[in-house]
Amino acid sequence: MYRIGFDVGGTFTDFTMINSRSGRMSHFKTPSTPEDRSQAIETGLSHFLNEYGVSPDDCAFIGHGTTVATNMVIERRGVLTGLITTRGARDVLEIGRQSRPQIYDYTVTKPEPLVDRWLRREVRERLDARGAVLVPMDEQDVREVAEDMWAAGVEAVAICFLNAYRDGRHEQRAAEIVREILPEAYISISSEVLPEFREFERFSTTVMNAYVGPRMAAYLTAFEGRLRSLGIGVEPRTIHSNGALMSLDAVRAFPVRTCLSGPAAGVVGAAKIAGAAGFDDIVTFDVGGTSTDVSLVRDGRPTFTTNRLVAHYPIRCPMMDIHVIGAGGGSIAALDDIGALSVGPRSAGSLPGPIAYGRGGTEPTVTDANLVLGRLSGDTLLSGRMRLDVEAAKRAIAQKIAEPMGLALEDAALGIIRIAVAKMGRAIRAVSTERGFRLDTFALCAYGGAGPLHACAVAQETGIRTVVVPAQPGTLCAQGILLSDVGFDFVKTGVATVGPAQWPQVAAAFAGMALHGLTWLDGEGVSTGDRVMRFSLDARYAGQNHEVQIDLADNPEISLEVFRVLFAEAHRREYGYDIDGRDVEIVNLRLSVSGGATTAPRKGYCAIDGDPVLGARPIYFTDGWYETVLYDRTRIPLDTIIEGPAIIQEMSSTTVLEPGQKLQVDHQGNIVIEVRHYAK
Amino acid sequence: MQSDMKQRPGLADPIAMEVFTNRLLAVSDEIANAMIRSSFSSNIKERKDCSVALFAADGRLIAQASHIPLHLGSLLGSVETILSAYPVDTIRDGEVFICNDPYVAGGTHTPDISVVTPVFLDGVLRYFAANIGHHSDVGGTVPGSIYGAAKSIFEEGLRLPVMRLFRAGKLDEELLRMIALNSRAPQERWLDIRVQAAANDRGARLMRELVGTFGTGDIDALVDDLLTYTNARLRRRIAAMKDGSASFEAQIEHDGITPKEITIRANVTVAGDRLAVDFEGTGPQAAGAFNVARGALHASVYYVVKTLLDPYLLPNSGMFSGIEITAPKGSLLNPNPPAPVGARSITCNKVVRAMIGAFSQLLPDDWAQAAGQDIVPVMVFSGQGSDAPEGYVYLESIGGGAGARNDADGMDGIHVHVTNSSNLPIEPLELEYDLIVDEYALVNDSAGAGRQRGGMGIARQISAPRGGVLFTARSDGHKHGAPGTAGGLAGRPAVLLKNPGTPQREELSPVVAGIELGPGESVRLETPGGGGFGAPEERPADALARDLRDGRYSAAHARACFGDSAVDTALRQLAPRDRSA
Repeated sequence: MYRIGFDVGGTFTDFTMINSRSGRMSHFKTPSTPEDRSQAIETGLSHFLNEYGVSPDDCAFIGHGTTVATNMVIERRGVLTGLITTRGARDVLEIGRQSRPQIYDYTVTKPEPLVDRWLRREVRERLDARGAVLVPMDEQDVREVAEDMWAAGVEAVAICFLNAYRDGRHEQRAAEIVREILPEAYISISSEVLPEFREFERFSTTVMNAYVGPRMAAYLTAFEGRLRSLGIGVEPRTIHSNGALMSLDAVRAFPVRTCLSGPAAGVVGAAKIAGAAGFDDIVTFDVGGTSTDVSLVRDGRPTFTTNRLVAHYPIRCPMMDIHVIGAGGGSIAALDDIGALSVGPRSAGSLPGPIAYGRGGTEPTVTDANLVLGRLSGDTLLSGRMRLDVEAAKRAIAQKIAEPMGLALEDAALGIIRIAVAKMGRAIRAVSTERGFRLDTFALCAYGGAGPLHACAVAQETGIRTVVVPAQPGTLCAQGILLSDVGFDFVKTGVATVGPAQWPQVAAAFAGMALHGLTWLDGEGVSTGDRVMRFSLDARYAGQNHEVQIDLADNPEISLEVFRVLFAEAHRREYGYDIDGRDVEIVNLRLSVSGGATTAPRKGYCAIDGDPVLGARPIYFTDGWYETVLYDRTRIPLDTIIEGPAIIQEMSSTTVLEPGQKLQVDHQGNIVIEVRHYAK
Repeated sequence: MQSDMKQRPGLADPIAMEVFTNRLLAVSDEIANAMIRSSFSSNIKERKDCSVALFAADGRLIAQASHIPLHLGSLLGSVETILSAYPVDTIRDGEVFICNDPYVAGGTHTPDISVVTPVFLDGVLRYFAANIGHHSDVGGTVPGSIYGAAKSIFEEGLRLPVMRLFRAGKLDEELLRMIALNSRAPQERWLDIRVQAAANDRGARLMRELVGTFGTGDIDALVDDLLTYTNARLRRRIAAMKDGSASFEAQIEHDGITPKEITIRANVTVAGDRLAVDFEGTGPQAAGAFNVARGALHASVYYVVKTLLDPYLLPNSGMFSGIEITAPKGSLLNPNPPAPVGARSITCNKVVRAMIGAFSQLLPDDWAQAAGQDIVPVMVFSGQGSDAPEGYVYLESIGGGAGARNDADGMDGIHVHVTNSSNLPIEPLELEYDLIVDEYALVNDSAGAGRQRGGMGIARQISAPRGGVLFTARSDGHKHGAPGTAGGLAGRPAVLLKNPGTPQREELSPVVAGIELGPGESVRLETPGGGGFGAPEERPADALARDLRDGRYSAAHARACFGDSAVDTALRQLAPRDRSA
């Protein structure tokens, strides 16, 4: 049997297939097809079927990651959407938090709401903060609004009432009425999409869900059609922003939950692969052309958040806490008129791309600097399928950076890398030390095209002692999909002070949620033995407005005393103190259910025969030029120890081993680097 | 390019400086985030009305993380005062200082409490970690401590000169008890001040780590580079302005006690790369609390320089030392003690209006900007919470329209200039307080017309379902709308109403205190719209059509401002999309 995972990215669609019996993995990459993304999917799948003689019936699993929803928002290609809300609240979506996005720069403006003001309509209804009805819903209002929306050609409707996180009755009834009048429309209601308080974020999430809903559904239908035409019968899964797999029906109902789909799969892959190599505490480090994504994995578990911006719109839903900064291979290095050197956030992207790509780029980038230093070579990209113009990169960095700064060419190039590394290091601190974790106990798991290129330097910058580079780091997201479980997150908001009287209610509420969770797992066909339930609580001291999360693992029935201890611990870690005797409030109860841990055995690592040494070339490091040996990664035998400096090349990435550092290839084929720290 | 090099300052190592700057920003961000997330005052936790800063031992500001421009450089005054009151060799490790006074301790108004922690390395004072937070109450005549009609600073609550909050690492509980007791929310004060001290501890630890990484001598050189660079960059921007002087006036419409207008006159002089700002011609100090203390005036000036000349210039002493600021003694902008200074933010935004008006005359024409709402209108509610026995004070400042620019409409419903605080969302508000938000919306017909229109004001209407609520407000711009530029029209002025839409409807003065709200009674503030830019007739038809379709302008109002022909053209573009056709 075979399992296939693929990641539909903006530029490329990456595929990984694993033979469940032998553990053998195969990879494939094809350009994405923006006009109908399912086309690239068919290309990749039929490549596997034909090339490896796989029968469609032998496909036991198809899983995919997609940024279709996110791209739709970035490019504003969703459908005409209407919003029905409580009287007095139609501009909540536009006012947001009433702050301007950039304090000093007025050229940076708030994004235009996804629903135009004339399609944001109010009806008479109102609940209070406890969920009691202050104003009954006026059904006639809803009818009139829905009829106007029908006349306007609205294809999706978001229904968002104030305080509906307490009680969804009014929203549900409104949805029934809207469905009568707009039977074809896609409807999202806030009490289903996100039953959490803070109206702007809930409205924004619900509106985005509705905005992308119809086209996402069309994409899924096209995708299903492609599978059927290939004769693949297994129901495909989609990876969600929280790293779990869900059925197509769940994606149709909550497409907004796929906004971080691909990157989340990468984190799952990194966590599982590093975990198998013995590293349960890692920082994931994914460097691409325009950005660096980092996140923290602790005890083998990724960290999660419920809040982020997607194309400048706030979204709340359970997702991997991935921190993104604008520093990647295409980041532009520029000197300002005072003589300071900056790198990014402007990026040459993939078009025009770095100068060396010869596609019209004129500004030096991080990739150009790596070429000048010899870390990338003119013929290493994509196994030599793409030749690079190193001389052009040298000329530009000499002229634009080195000469004005009075530096040697290589020192200017190294300066560009140092600044990029400093920014990457800052991103890593944001997800780790800023939250109370010590980096010297974490390993850095580097992937993406340019992660392994900078991993050693970033580890030294941040005090990390170990770097792990998985095999095929450029396709880790697709690999991660094969390592994901199915899963769903449930949340219940109910702000209450914790005391002996209320404590039993917490357990009762969790028990109710557990029933929902089991029903969901039944629906997904997860067998009893494979089920995992994780309970957690968001709590805070009375009077605070930010919560800390307390992980209860699979046991929600803890005593009040134990809870207090856990809360104080979590608060201390996050903020550095706790307050004895202060009332604690529980804000959200959370349940995350998952299952079907179908981790096929990966084949033990076995090098391809042949001399791993490809040659040598001079490479520039902090203390000068080194004649450096180049290795073909696929030929390095198990347990080989290599002393730096060295360059390890493979199809999708290049790993730089700095002088004084040492690497070893482990049983899964990971490169594990022991990072020595030298005093400056 | 080559000739430019000659004028460049001598930076020892620009690359190391950039690497160091990234580390420094990570440090200040980390302290600020920890402080915001763990604090109790809603001003700090939800509205991020706080700043953190790192200083060298000699008082130079190295880095500041600020979410509120009114705090730009505001900790400079606190640290200066500490250094003059306590010579360096008398400051001991384990001490922590606290202060707030606008006259004797460099503060900006009494609710802003500064906590400053000296950072020692190997027994030597090397840095200060400092932060300032807007506390929800420090006593005084009214809840929230900001009383527009205060007649002296003694009505604005507790005044703290520089005092030691910790000695030898031990909290002075007596002092903290005294501070807390003087607040209407004593427990919150107790907790928040401890949060501030904890934030500084974190800063101290991070600075020690930084020194561990870079080494003491290297850090000194890097700090020098950073400040030199910042200063040189600012001077380069100033040099790009026209040499000469320009002036512009704005007014506050109420002095806090009576509706008396006071003029603010900004005179800006550019000579080469030097910039001087004086406020000669500004009216006398206000009888009420609309006066501006030195720290707040400087912050307003720094804000204008940053927003107009270089929005991404790092706030450190390299920036602040490059600007000369003076204001006549005894004036609104340099009052004599014990003049009250609590309600300074409205005046500060009017200072910004006057300065942008003056600056615009010395800048390239298309940098100009129309006036925005240019106030910081505040609504304060106090009452007995359902759960909180000690009662609550809920303060909210409301955004409005931004001024139009040459190439863009003003943003709708945002905070402008010296403040950028987030709102308290409706749902947490209703959960925490016995209040209902009836409406939170953009005000139709409030945006100043123009080729580019101004931003729309905000209406916020809140009722007290069970009564027993006291309401206080400070606003401005109720008489004159925000002026437009280059032929653009003024935005609509603000209005404050009690019981709107009922027979008991009543227009309130922009400055009111202690208005009682009985069961079901409500108040509504509509904030000003921003001024327009360019002649209204020149507004593109599709933009006007969108405004009309979205109801931002009524047809009648649009006809009055943009003219019949522009409106008719726009309306023709709005042919109804008929689904059945």
